[in-house]
Amino acid sequence: MSQAPQSMVKLSAINKTWADGTRALNSVDLEVPEGQFCVILGPSGAGKSTLLRAVNGLVRPTGGAVHVDGVELTPANERDIRKSVAMIHQHFNLATRASVAANVLSGALPDVSLARALCGWFYPQQREKACHYLERVGLKPEHLHRRAGELSGGQQQRVGIARAFMLDPKVVLADEPVASLDPQISRDILTLLKDAARELNATVVCSLHQVDLAREFGDRIVGMRSGEIVFDGAPEEFDDQRLGRLYQNADWGDGEPDTFREDTPELEAAGGM
Amino acid sequence: MNTRPIPVPPEGARLQWHLDQPFRLKHLVIAILIFALLILTGHRTEMDRMVIMTTQAVGNLVGLNDESQVVRGLSKVADSMWPPQLATSEDIGRMNDFNPDDLPWFARVETRETTTQRINEETLQLESATEITEVLYDPTGYVKTVFAKMIETLEIALWGTILAVSLSIPLAWFAASNYSPNRVTYTLARGFISLLRSVPELIVALFLVLAYGFGPIAGVLALGLHAAGFLGKFYAEDIENADKQPQEALEAIGAGKIKTVLYAVMPQVLPQYVAYTAYILDRNLRMATVVGLVGAGGIGQELKGRFDMYDYGHVMTILIAIFLFVFVLDQLSARIRARMI
Repeated sequence: MSQAPQSMVKLSAINKTWADGTRALNSVDLEVPEGQFCVILGPSGAGKSTLLRAVNGLVRPTGGAVHVDGVELTPANERDIRKSVAMIHQHFNLATRASVAANVLSGALPDVSLARALCGWFYPQQREKACHYLERVGLKPEHLHRRAGELSGGQQQRVGIARAFMLDPKVVLADEPVASLDPQISRDILTLLKDAARELNATVVCSLHQVDLAREFGDRIVGMRSGEIVFDGAPEEFDDQRLGRLYQNADWGDGEPDTFREDTPELEAAGGM
Repeated sequence: MNTRPIPVPPEGARLQWHLDQPFRLKHLVIAILIFALLILTGHRTEMDRMVIMTTQAVGNLVGLNDESQVVRGLSKVADSMWPPQLATSEDIGRMNDFNPDDLPWFARVETRETTTQRINEETLQLESATEITEVLYDPTGYVKTVFAKMIETLEIALWGTILAVSLSIPLAWFAASNYSPNRVTYTLARGFISLLRSVPELIVALFLVLAYGFGPIAGVLALGLHAAGFLGKFYAEDIENADKQPQEALEAIGAGKIKTVLYAVMPQVLPQYVAYTAYILDRNLRMATVVGLVGAGGIGQELKGRFDMYDYGHVMTILIAIFLFVFVLDQLSARIRARMI
């Protein structure tokens, strides 16, 4: 799978073992071509977040190599690479007491000098861009000076998306971006994310646990379980049987359809956990 | 999900139930030891004598006994302190810049006759000589002096606070374990902060007066250094305890540590910082009246000087001024706080 001409994100044999001996990632290989909306699906604790964080170096893998746009991620070039890798977070991770404007502008911080950052003196283009993206994600001018914490969850995630696009990222990592939102808003947010990414031809790696959303939005679904990739394919290939295996206690054999039980759970039941 | 069954004891197993009394002999022994320690330290700090003397004083006041050292001492001081000294009179002959056409408000020139008796060396007789001096009598002269000193005290407190804030911000950076460059800088910063906090303002001021001489420099430095220790500790702890999520978001785009603190930590901790700084300003205003006692400027220096010269009337004026000053400040700060919240 994924033998596209240019792979934007490439993970080669990534291992991550936490200090307490837990294996979060077990020799994971993944290549995501440019412009793809790649959904990582799997139960809690499968290693989805760790995988995403390995891409921008928030988690340092204990083994293997990460390449972003053909460049290997090392502690030395980490900060440069992070500029082109945006991140959207499950809990929005906004500075809740700061204004919406300050939160969106903070997405452009790597591009301003310390003195400018200190006075909040962002360049006019950056201010325009912040307004542009806030409009793009469906907020209104009166939201600009409201505290981010006063907005609803859906609106906060919109701010988070606007912030993520401030630096014209090549890669957007979305870590359970809609886990704490209701289904309709989740759909709106993912639509926004997908459209905004398409405009920039940005690659999106998005972890989800809602199967229906994964099928609807993913160009490709990567199923993860206990730190390993157990499914990798187009959404059409990800049928209910495979879903059952992803979430059940059954062993994931290499392609034999007989090794799992027939009683696959309801989609919602799987989506809930 | 990793589900592990909750351990349940096998059926029919006898369970051991214990519900002991809350206190045992150990606790009684500890209580006796604490009581003995209180008796001992109480005697060493003369708490027993304090009780006796206070009882005598109360007895004296209600007329049960006629001798009390406390009442005698207090009434002697009170007698000499009343009335408070408001006026100044200055010998015109000793004034360099006296201008009869430009007297201060309410001030007037008076002539004083002073009669002195001395022995005439030739006749060896006591003679009284009368000397007439002109003095400038200003009925509110001392109030003005005290007011000027009060303003100086305010300024010392203000600059002590400014110094403390500007010192403690870099200190807090190095003393916050999640932003300090390494363990060495962290330990050094924490150690320095503890050192600053551990020495009381008055003692710092005592040494700074030796270094910088009498006057407000020593006062500002003493207040600033001590408060920097306090602020540094609290600023640093707030940075450490701030919500990690917004910081992770900025770290993830490579914003760098300083910008991350500015945009992800500062918005969260700013209200607390304002509260700490306001507390320090409040504390410095009160401490600034005291550091003068060791010569570090402000009203305290005036108070000490007058006290040492037994000018208890002046002392009374100063004490009233300090009381009014602190009272007005309390009212002001309460009002400002009410408006800010």
